Amino acid sequence: MMLEQLMAEIRAGGTLETGTLAVRLGTSPQMVDAMLEHLRLGGYIQAYSNCGDVCQGCSLKSSCGRDEKAGTIRLWQSSGK
Amino acid sequence: MSDCHTAPPRVSRRPATGGADARLIALAGQPNMGKSTLFNILTGLNQHVGNWPGKTIERREGDFAYKGHPYRMVDLPGTYSLTANSPEEVIAREFILRENPSLVVAIVSAANLERSLYLVSELVCLPVPLVVALNMMDVADQEGISVSAKILESALGVPVVPMTATRATGVNELMEAIEQVLAGKCPVVPCRPEVRADHRLVMEEITRQIDSHVPLPYPPEWVALKLLEGDSEIAHTMQTALPSCNWEAVQAILLQHDDALLAVASGRYEWIGQILQVAVERPKMGQISLTERLDRWAAHPIWGLLILAGILGLVFWITFKIGAPVQNWLSVEVVARLATLARLALAGTPAWLSGLVANGLLGGVGAVITFLPIMVIFFATFAFLEDVGYMARAAYVMDNLMHLMGLHGKSFLPLFLGFGCNVPSIMGTRVVDSRPGRLLTILIAPLVPCTARLAVVAFLAPAFFGSNALYVSWGLVLLSMFMLVLSGTLLSKIIFKGQRSAFIMEMPLYHLPNARTIGLLVWQRSMSFTKKAGTKILAMALVIWALSVLPGGELNTSYLAQFGKLIEPIGKLMGMDWRLTVALIASFPAKENAIAALGVLFGSSPQGGLTQMLTASYSTASALSFLVVTMLFIPCMATVAVIRQETGSWRWTLLNIVMMLTLSFIAGISVYHLAVLLRLS
Repeated sequence: MMLEQLMAEIRAGGTLETGTLAVRLGTSPQMVDAMLEHLRLGGYIQAYSNCGDVCQGCSLKSSCGRDEKAGTIRLWQSSGK
Repeated sequence: MSDCHTAPPRVSRRPATGGADARLIALAGQPNMGKSTLFNILTGLNQHVGNWPGKTIERREGDFAYKGHPYRMVDLPGTYSLTANSPEEVIAREFILRENPSLVVAIVSAANLERSLYLVSELVCLPVPLVVALNMMDVADQEGISVSAKILESALGVPVVPMTATRATGVNELMEAIEQVLAGKCPVVPCRPEVRADHRLVMEEITRQIDSHVPLPYPPEWVALKLLEGDSEIAHTMQTALPSCNWEAVQAILLQHDDALLAVASGRYEWIGQILQVAVERPKMGQISLTERLDRWAAHPIWGLLILAGILGLVFWITFKIGAPVQNWLSVEVVARLATLARLALAGTPAWLSGLVANGLLGGVGAVITFLPIMVIFFATFAFLEDVGYMARAAYVMDNLMHLMGLHGKSFLPLFLGFGCNVPSIMGTRVVDSRPGRLLTILIAPLVPCTARLAVVAFLAPAFFGSNALYVSWGLVLLSMFMLVLSGTLLSKIIFKGQRSAFIMEMPLYHLPNARTIGLLVWQRSMSFTKKAGTKILAMALVIWALSVLPGGELNTSYLAQFGKLIEPIGKLMGMDWRLTVALIASFPAKENAIAALGVLFGSSPQGGLTQMLTASYSTASALSFLVVTMLFIPCMATVAVIRQETGSWRWTLLNIVMMLTLSFIAGISVYHLAVLLRLS
């Protein structure tokens, strides 16, 4: 049911955080991360690894780099599928 | 099997002949699991590289021998699953099913089993022996993750061999396990993921419909499962293979159970979760537990907002306690004295030259440069908050608030960027898919107070309000956020009609700030600000100065005064004289120009700097009104240009200008008259 519950949370809308989602689903943040990747590959959500040209000149650009381990913020967005 | 040995692999690389007697091994795994490293260790130079038939995807196979047995290994494309989401996944499963390999080696990462076991959950369902290579044991060790290969082996029902391919450790053990399985000395009884009871009946019904028509070599149960998962390739195959009545029956079942698609994958994740619960131990790291403890407050929907408000207050407090005295000193002791010296030095020169240097240059740009210390403190405190990981929480609680108000969730990223600068914020609205959603976000994004607006407030608030500057500045930021939520809610109700969508974020762990990172950020932003002061702000200051002395050299009869007095009636409604009104208009090219304009209009005198002049010139009500209007006034020219570019329409651009003007004027008039009523004038 975990993946279905995660999808239900996403479909309900709102801002979701992976740590909170893990607690709600009774699993680990790593499992939530894996399921989000599954949903991304299935086209249910889109990931923002960086903002592309949108970030040019942005003072917060360094906060969004997916590949940097520290101080990063990873984002996904519902694709509406 | 769980011991790692560092002995070099005992494989011998045979000439690339392969041969019919060679045992065919398929090497499967997700990308970046070390598949190619293992393949290279085993096959060395005896590799053939070509393409998969009809595809442009590389096919690699190689030969080697172990204990006298010839092997041919095929490196399958990296795949996350065996569902036909990509050509790689189709190739991998078709090879396993059609080429009938003697064994499949699934390579997984010990550091990320949550993700890599998904492919194994599919492989265990195929009619082929499986051995799991538990790679990256060194990475797992480094991350403090303890994986028990023995328990994993018991839970999976297939041999599991720990290894570190990059160091060639565990390769002999892997080959030994393969030999044992192929010799039938190691029974392989895979534990497969369960299909949920309600879907099991559905699956049985589909299997019944397709059973006698499934083309070889596909197992009917596997085909039924793939149909439930919505696999387009299998659906196409079965549509061709089945009589139309059976296909229609299958389609009807699938239509009734379209939720099965997620249910099947969900079952696999349940299976992975249960296995990992017993086989993997993740030590509760102090950093994670600290993050969790802090986030109970910082990311809480109500406490989080109060903490955010408190932190903003603290930022202003630090700014005023440290930055304002330095700014005041610079203004009085440096800029004012330099202006006096310039007047003395240029005493014999034409009056316009003395005025240009003392009033235009030093009065305008000098005033802006004096608030560099304030900017540096601002940049440093925000860089600190970013670097420790707090800014993500700030955005999270703000977005939560906006959701409570019914605002669209996809607006999160652009609004988050807006705290730095409104330009990338507007460009960031590209993440919003729907046109109305994007337009709405563009319309409200300029209400997020950018660094330039905050810096103007940080400069002027102490000048107008002295010791109360902290409360005024704090209130102004809260007012901006309130206006943002209010406008967003109203527009959202009109355009979105309550529609909600999700935004998922993973917040970084809190960590100790890095002085170098903060220093670099402060340096880059300060340099950017100084460059702006030396170009755009300087140009604007000189234009304002020229307009303030032409045609006769008198400010009160200048073109600027004539223009200011023309628009003064509008300013008067908000308690502003023509000079404040002109300063407001001058902030259009760049927000900092408001200070440059006031610097030119008031000049510097031996009696004190700009702050002292402003304190003496305006009532509390007028000052408050001016700051409120500044916070909500039309965005800078660059932002307006980006709004035009991103909306592709002058209509929406003008609507934004009109909206911001209306909001700022209504707020300015209200605040001024309320302050007068409260006898703050």
